[in-house]
Amino acid sequence: MRKILIVGAGQAGLQLGLSLLDHDYDVTVMSARTPEEIRGGRVMSTQAMFHTALQYERDHKLNLWEEPAPAIEGLGVSIAASDGSRALDWVGVLDNYAQSVDQRVKMPGWLELFEDRGGKVVFHGVTTSDLDSLTRHYELVVVAAGKGELVQLFGRDAERSVHTEPQRVLSVSYVHGAERRPEHPDMDAVRFNAVPGVGELFVIPGYTFSGPCEIPFFEGLPGGPLDCWSDRPGPSEHWGRMLELMRQYVPWEYERFKGAELTDGQATLSGGYTPVVRHPVGELPSGGAVLGVADVVVANDPITGQGSNNASRCAAVYRDSILERGDQPFDRQWMRDTFERYWERAEPVTRWTNAMLQPPPEHVMNLFGAAESNPVIRNRFANAFDDPSDYDDWFLDPKLAEEYLRQVSETEE
Amino acid sequence: MVIRSDEPGDAPGGREVRSRRVRPYALTGGRTRSRHQLLVETMISVPSYDAEFAETLLPESRSLYENARSPVSLAELSASLSIPLGVIRILVSDLAAEEAVFIHPTGHTYQYDHTILERILDGLNKLSA
Ligand SMILES: Cc1cc2nc3c(=O)[nH]c(=O)nc-3n(C[C@H](O)[C@H](O)[C@H](O)COP(=O)(O)OP(=O)(O)OC[C@H]3O[C@@H](n4cnc5c(N)ncnc54)[C@H](O)[C@@H]3O)c2cc1C
Repeated sequence: MRKILIVGAGQAGLQLGLSLLDHDYDVTVMSARTPEEIRGGRVMSTQAMFHTALQYERDHKLNLWEEPAPAIEGLGVSIAASDGSRALDWVGVLDNYAQSVDQRVKMPGWLELFEDRGGKVVFHGVTTSDLDSLTRHYELVVVAAGKGELVQLFGRDAERSVHTEPQRVLSVSYVHGAERRPEHPDMDAVRFNAVPGVGELFVIPGYTFSGPCEIPFFEGLPGGPLDCWSDRPGPSEHWGRMLELMRQYVPWEYERFKGAELTDGQATLSGGYTPVVRHPVGELPSGGAVLGVADVVVANDPITGQGSNNASRCAAVYRDSILERGDQPFDRQWMRDTFERYWERAEPVTRWTNAMLQPPPEHVMNLFGAAESNPVIRNRFANAFDDPSDYDDWFLDPKLAEEYLRQVSETEE
Repeated sequence: MVIRSDEPGDAPGGREVRSRRVRPYALTGGRTRSRHQLLVETMISVPSYDAEFAETLLPESRSLYENARSPVSLAELSASLSIPLGVIRILVSDLAAEEAVFIHPTGHTYQYDHTILERILDGLNKLSA
């Protein structure tokens, strides 16, 4: 049995570890926190995951919360006009549902499942000096530590990284007691609300300890009115402030949230980070090498809700690459090739995400406008969240967008 | 082994507020789960020393195995062997899986903060490095 060490017990580390157990690898996961500590900790994400990622979980019987978690069947776009009304408002229907299971529920459950299925878990906040010796004890060491300090082992890839500063200030609350949007009272949908010059409000139907919930998530332009979290308000003040901002900038969302309450005392989060692409091989002083996975190597802004999806894609690609390697050594060239295989999938996601951080160009506004009367367009926009490489073919490029609009209006006639 | 009961109330340092509601969703297959954690103060020892087995070990595991012939804590092992704590934890857990070392049970009576202890230990290791 080949011996593999995975550092970090998040979406990528645990999905990879659990999927390797299915193929008889000797896998150890090192987690900075125990299941109890993760359960009792702060929310970490809004973690909306689309069909492909959910299917990877089903493939390895990791979909433990599929039943109770709301099935997200649509994805809607609203754009605020200057007078507080909506310039645009529609919802696209997903071919297959998405879901968001609170990582505080999922990761502890997966850690326990990993042990049940024969994986070894060691609780420890790993340092570079630990890794320096540990590379000698394993055939492969994978660093799945998210945006933690260990990323310092992996140099920034200047050619693939676009940003040098955070592009949004993030603010999240998990709440109970909100109705669905009145436009679709029978369907759960992710809502994307853009307020030009200010930022965005996402709302994700999720699942937490106390059951189904809604997760409003502000993405504020730095220096703007949504950039107001540096004083780290306590939970109830945090939620109160989010509500007030909703009332002011997205009043249609405020209407359904004004009576809502936080799901628990750790249900708020604020912060920000710089999107980055890193080199995949980390070098250690003693001559060992480690392979970075998911957020460690590609961390995009969450504006497109792709980080967990990417973590899942990355874990799936790395699993295949490990299996195909057979008994051959996991050397640096294999590590680089493995990452390039993932980058083929992550690159279009990164390109689209970086585009969405900019004010929408004219061709995008034309597409969004046409989508209001044409379900083909809005459904395509919604479903491409599952396969963002599709945006390259019609959404990102002005010429292709024009062509696409011509095509769909012809077939409509 | 340190048995981590799933009762959130028994850990020191304000952890008692943690949610009990999680149990129905934790999906532990119906068995009663005991969680194991190697703390810095956890004691280990070699139940029956085997010189031949020692020969088969990698140098770090081997010195750990030799040093645990009489009961010793993870902290002491890390400090005296100058091996980072994370590596000690891995090696101990591997040796324990082979039943080559025994992990002594610890109570929940410790009143100090483990992360502070770990930081002190890291600091000591850096000084001696
Ligand atoms: C506000 C917000 C909203 C988001 N919304 C979405 C969304 O809707 N959809 C989506 O797909 N993505 C979303 N994301 C992104 C997504 O959460 C991440 O991309 C994803 O969790 C990355 O998974 P990962 O496994 O790489 O890292 P993580 O999930 O960060 O896991 C890393 C793990 O490693 C552990 N760790 C760190 N350092 C160490 C160490 N030294 N030793 C041991 N363990 C360590 C951490 O404790 C953690 O458990 C969002 C992110 C944010 C911040």
